[in-house]
Amino acid sequence: MSPLTLHDYLAVGAILFGLGMVGFLARRNLIIMFLSAEMMLQGVALNLTAFARYRGNLQGQAFVLFLLTVAACEAAIALALILMLFRRNRSLDVSLWQELREDDQPPNLDEEPLPPAPEPEPLPQLTPAGHEPVHAEPSHEEASHV
Amino acid sequence: MDVALFADGGAAGLARYWLALLPAALGFVGVYCLLPQAKGGRPMLGTLLGGAALALTGWLLLRHDGILPERILFYAFSALAIVGGGMVLAQRNPVHAALSFALVVLSTCGLFLLLAAPFLMAATIIVYAGAIVVTFLFVIMLAQQAGLASADQRSREPFLASLAGYILIGALLCVLEKTFDARTIDAALERIDAVARAESVDDARRQFGEIRKLFDDPQKPGSDRTLPVDEMKRLIPQTDQDLLEAEFLLNARDLPKLKAMFRKLHQQGLQARLSIGVLTADEKQPATPFSQGPLDAAGRHALPAQNVAGLGRTLFADYLLPIELAGILLLVASIGAIAIAARRPEGLR
Repeated sequence: MSPLTLHDYLAVGAILFGLGMVGFLARRNLIIMFLSAEMMLQGVALNLTAFARYRGNLQGQAFVLFLLTVAACEAAIALALILMLFRRNRSLDVSLWQELREDDQPPNLDEEPLPPAPEPEPLPQLTPAGHEPVHAEPSHEEASHV
Repeated sequence: MDVALFADGGAAGLARYWLALLPAALGFVGVYCLLPQAKGGRPMLGTLLGGAALALTGWLLLRHDGILPERILFYAFSALAIVGGGMVLAQRNPVHAALSFALVVLSTCGLFLLLAAPFLMAATIIVYAGAIVVTFLFVIMLAQQAGLASADQRSREPFLASLAGYILIGALLCVLEKTFDARTIDAALERIDAVARAESVDDARRQFGEIRKLFDDPQKPGSDRTLPVDEMKRLIPQTDQDLLEAEFLLNARDLPKLKAMFRKLHQQGLQARLSIGVLTADEKQPATPFSQGPLDAAGRHALPAQNVAGLGRTLFADYLLPIELAGILLLVASIGAIAIAARRPEGLR
């Protein structure tokens, strides 16, 4: 019966950090890149809290509070920048900004065509129920009453 | 402790850590399959591989037996956090990605609670709840105008990105495995526990012989000294005296006293096991007593029960200047956000 050790929490923090890094590197949507960066911060916060718990002082938790402050500032600035970039290009695709690369770097082009978009599902139609009433030709006498 | 990570050289050195590297490799292939790609993405295979990696990681941590409620909660929260993290990477729809990120934050908050940090749990939920709501607004405002964009269906260098993630996670897990290697003390604790549970004097004598094998001369046949004994002696300092005393008790055939002694040794060993890899605080650091909890029975600092009060005193005693700077940072960031995002007339851009 061994209790949880520092190792377990550090492993979870490391995995969160790594996943966030992969997301930041691979995804092209600016908002998802921002979320991945926040996920890396979550991994670090978990590490610091675990150190605080196993060292028996509150300094780690105080650090996480500062980390939260920085994360909030980052969120504000990042979303403002995303908004500005979107106004310029009308798109969240980060690859549209690749003219900012170094001169000797090759451009990043999309070679594979996207698979064709699936056909939109047809709207559901009610099956007709009951009989259609017989439309009798109105006689001239009835029509004259109206 | 100051041995290079792969001192025993190359593949053999790496093979020692296969238990940490295998789940990371599975996760690498899984994440590569899950990343949105124009061609070649296999979400089903990726999900399967990712699940296998998660289960293997759980087993890697679970090797140390024993199911406690704390352990179950830890596995539940960390599995949720990692699955949510994977879903942030894999979702093509940014709204779903933001929802998965909310899952990550909530499960991390659960882990904060397990780590005796209730204030941080509340603060994280409050801060990130606001952040996620704003992100949602942004997604709905910007991304949902023309359906799924082409940027969401492709990834930038998915193979290289997942490879970089694999190298990072694999290296971190290897270092953790090495630093927190508890095999020595686990083997010793198992044998100590066997003596503490012995039925008869002869049984105890046989189990005691197993413990002696740990300390024997490595040249002697039958010796089991593959485990670094010095490390164990460092963790349980009074082992030598205790073993001498145990021999004395064995010769006196005093079983109850012997078992009581080994039960106590087992408890001390469990305490010592918790302290593997934990750096002790530097006494010369100018931390006020506020950030240190009261001493527990073992003479170590335990976290104070009044988390919020302690945290407040720490912030305003040890970190007075940084907290003022954090306030200034928040002010500057909000001004900056307004300055960046405000609509200006075309001529001023």
